[in-house]
Amino acid sequence: MLTDPIVALATPPGRSAVALIRLSGRGVFALAARCLAPFRAEPARTVFRARLRHPASGEAIDDALACCFPGPHSYTGEDLVEISTHGGLVVPGAAVAALVAGGARPAEAGEFTRRAVLNGKMDLLQAEATADLIDAGAPVQRRRALQQLERGLSGRLEALRGEILDLEALIAYEIDFPEEDAGPVAPDLVRGAWCVARERVAGLLATAPEGERLREGALCVIAGRPNAGKSSLFNALLGTERAIVTEIPGTTRDAIEAPAVIAGFPFRLVDTAGLRDSQDRVEKIGIEVSRRYLGAADLVVFCEEGVVRGASSDPVREEFLAHVRAPVVVVHTKVDLDQSDGPTVRPAVVSVSAVTGAGLEELKRRLAAEAFGRLLALGDVEPVVTRARHRAALERALAELDGFQAARSAGVDAAAAATHLRAAVTALDDLIGVVTPDEVLDRVFASFCVGK
Amino acid sequence: MFDYDVIIVGGGHAGTEAAAMSARLKASTLLITSNLDTIGHMSCNPAIGGIAKGTVVREVDALGGAMGRATDRATIQFRMLNRSKGPAVWAPRAQCDRTLYRRAIRTLLEQFPALQLTQGMVSRLLLDGDQVRGVESADGRRFSARAVIITAGTFLRGRIHLGTETQIPAGRAGDQPSIEMAQAIEDLGLIVSRFKTGTPPRIDGRTVDWSKVERQDGDGDGYRFSFYERMALPRQVACWITWAGEPVKEIIRRHLKESALYGGAISGRGPRYCPSVEDKIVKFPDAKRHQVFLEPEGLDTQELYVNGLSTSLPVPVQLEFLHAVPGLERARMTRAGYAIEYDYYPPSQLTPWLETKAVERLFFAGQINGTTGYEEAAGQGVVAGINAVRRLKGEEPVVFGRDDAYIGVLVDDLVTRGVDEPYRLFTSRSEFRMLLRQDNALRRLLPLAERLALLSDEERRTAERRLGEEEQVLEAARQTTITPSQADPVLVGTGTRLGQPERVAVVAKRPGAGLGRLLQAAGVACPYGDDVLAAAEIEIKYDGYLAREREAAARLAELAAFALPFDLPYLEFRSLATEARQKLDRIRPASLAQAARVPGISPSDLHNLVIETARWRRRVA
Repeated sequence: MLTDPIVALATPPGRSAVALIRLSGRGVFALAARCLAPFRAEPARTVFRARLRHPASGEAIDDALACCFPGPHSYTGEDLVEISTHGGLVVPGAAVAALVAGGARPAEAGEFTRRAVLNGKMDLLQAEATADLIDAGAPVQRRRALQQLERGLSGRLEALRGEILDLEALIAYEIDFPEEDAGPVAPDLVRGAWCVARERVAGLLATAPEGERLREGALCVIAGRPNAGKSSLFNALLGTERAIVTEIPGTTRDAIEAPAVIAGFPFRLVDTAGLRDSQDRVEKIGIEVSRRYLGAADLVVFCEEGVVRGASSDPVREEFLAHVRAPVVVVHTKVDLDQSDGPTVRPAVVSVSAVTGAGLEELKRRLAAEAFGRLLALGDVEPVVTRARHRAALERALAELDGFQAARSAGVDAAAAATHLRAAVTALDDLIGVVTPDEVLDRVFASFCVGK
Repeated sequence: MFDYDVIIVGGGHAGTEAAAMSARLKASTLLITSNLDTIGHMSCNPAIGGIAKGTVVREVDALGGAMGRATDRATIQFRMLNRSKGPAVWAPRAQCDRTLYRRAIRTLLEQFPALQLTQGMVSRLLLDGDQVRGVESADGRRFSARAVIITAGTFLRGRIHLGTETQIPAGRAGDQPSIEMAQAIEDLGLIVSRFKTGTPPRIDGRTVDWSKVERQDGDGDGYRFSFYERMALPRQVACWITWAGEPVKEIIRRHLKESALYGGAISGRGPRYCPSVEDKIVKFPDAKRHQVFLEPEGLDTQELYVNGLSTSLPVPVQLEFLHAVPGLERARMTRAGYAIEYDYYPPSQLTPWLETKAVERLFFAGQINGTTGYEEAAGQGVVAGINAVRRLKGEEPVVFGRDDAYIGVLVDDLVTRGVDEPYRLFTSRSEFRMLLRQDNALRRLLPLAERLALLSDEERRTAERRLGEEEQVLEAARQTTITPSQADPVLVGTGTRLGQPERVAVVAKRPGAGLGRLLQAAGVACPYGDDVLAAAEIEIKYDGYLAREREAAARLAELAAFALPFDLPYLEFRSLATEARQKLDRIRPASLAQAARVPGISPSDLHNLVIETARWRRRVA
């Protein structure tokens, strides 16, 4: 739909003082009024302060600032509301959820800009320039790689659409040419074509987590006991003295996030407060933040002092590892202090000295391999899904392909089952242009002799 | 003063339906044709209906057209195609007696007081500037009218080919072509192009060895195309199946250079889905054999139509390969097959109501728009007939949506995408295969037929009664509870059982469970026809699928609601790609949805089109 209310977080996710949420479309003022009190649509373009509540539960979410832009004088050209909430990991998400509960739909990627284009607020060249600008923020090599990947992706998506159309052509033949020489299509043929199409969609979809990381940066959280050398490692990976380093355990009390390019791949590095039972209130909050970052992490670096490695079973580490779902790289820090000639460390562990730089390059390679292993294995040639929009379309296509097979197995007849194929193709249409029924017929005519 | 409101030139399947619509709308109507005895003649195979086409027949019938009723009066064998593929794509097809069909059409047309028939070969169009004013016949008679519909079929510069040597100017076998008319239309500045189509030989049934061919019986006489009347069917007969195998292939390969098609005599493009036997053998050399259907031409003749062996080879070669077909070793050929080339006018020159963009109130319908098939012609005849009258009354044109009817798919495809081979309908051409069914044609189109006042009071009552019955069945299925002991005997074939009492509508969703038998088992009296039950059953069984397609249709409607004014200066829209500007300028789509279907229009062109349209509106306002 072109004008239904949509909502999205306009600022990047993560810790920040404020977050900006945008709401656009038909009836968004009434929708916002269900979540904001007091609500003032008039005077237009004037900021007001309001309580943001979940419309169903009434639960207070945040103290927010809001501002109404009646169409056409808005970014999208439609009625638009901008709401500023506190930033961070939780509040903006809860605020968006409340607005969704109020009747808005989560916007597709770029949908605000698309509406702006549709409503003549911005021409397409401007919109494209905006996108280019965002890309240009990344290092040159990465941008070039991305462009190549994009082209590769279009080609792969087209091939993929072709596979689904081939499958649909078999069904179309069954339905549209019932009295032909070749007789009915063998079930194996349908099954085989289905397997090919499904495998392709699934394979492409499997690159999505890493592909999206490629755009946003892999969230790599450095964790460990207090004074394990996390901040030193953080600084060493960044190449700058960003975090304060002392010998006093518990120096880092808040999480610090910084972008970094490691082995050519984008990361968002996070230094966290050391994990321990602390009575210090500030430190406890810091530890809580660490835990939340750990929950969102793509990758965790767990630091241990190399010199204390003698303790083979560390209960803190074991408990920690049991709770983390992301891959963990264990790092033995401060190896420059380790003068013993004890047994060499296990291969899964990287030994690093932030002081001498020993082991740092190996760690960087390990991090890249953990966060982008699939991409590394695919090389530069294979296409990768880098956008949430692409992933969403592929997920829909996959669900429809599975729906098709489920319908066939349940004895649903060809015409009804084929609606799933149409939907799967439609899901890809947004990405690669419009398919016409003629294409299906072309495939039928190419492969079957028809003509009663 | 005008002699008539509407003149229709041509008495084929487009012309007769256009005449029926015009007359039903009470416009004074003249149908002029070169031979009154061939009104409603089936020039090619003696059958009506089939995949998607059968649905069109029912759509035409729902609107008050003649095709369904005439078919019911001429059916000598009926089969529901696609029975195994689910009722959504069931396709009624009737083998017809050519003579009975023609007579039925003539009889049905003569019931309209507003319609006159006359014989004459139209040679000129009368114009006043860029408005049509009537026609003039070769014998010098002039007929003035406020709107003219041309339905000339394959007659315009028609040329028959038999091998590379023999070429006969003809509209079809036995009829004169229309040369002057073709010139008159070309003089209007319309682009002309050529297509070809073909027809197979016909044989004397008394010379067939019946022991070598397979008998194919019909389904019986339960089904009727018409929603409005239930005539007794004529006597039912069988069709026959045989095969063209290696010997036939060998003969054709040997003589391929003598074929008009492969010898280079024909330049026009033919349909891929109705290929000549030469085409089949050249393009699919691995196919071991090709089916051949022997179809009776009528009840009072022994002549058979040899479906599947359309050809443009010389007559002696046709006879030679016929004799290589099992069962036809001693067959005598009554008529030779031939290919015919003819003028058509690329239909992107038409509006979505089939009026030419060049000349006001001049309409084109049928094969001259690049289609094939009686049903496709009839559907266009309906659109042209209705809109000719609406235009002269100054009313908004009626445009059929792609989700309303196959007629809508057909006309939209023609005027938006154009044609590069003779156009035929398939279910695959529609985005809404599940919605556009033969069983619900009346439900889809009755509101329109009533709004336009196309139906008589009695017809309206009949239609409403039928739809009411469908509602009653649906209601009964939704309200009635069935117990396991009642349901299980009915469910035997489905491999499922009922655990606890359940609504009939829920149980009927199971594949293989019949609604009629379930209702009966639950003790509900069902005094309704099979077609009423089937229509209700489909709505229940495909509930979820239908909802999905309706959702998709609603999305399309949103794009369709964005109207594009006819006089948009597309060529000035610099933000559009050059190709897009030229195509849109030629097609002049009526809505954003139609623009989106124009081949070569990219999503960014569409975005810019919206902006440019808005700017243009501000400028002219």
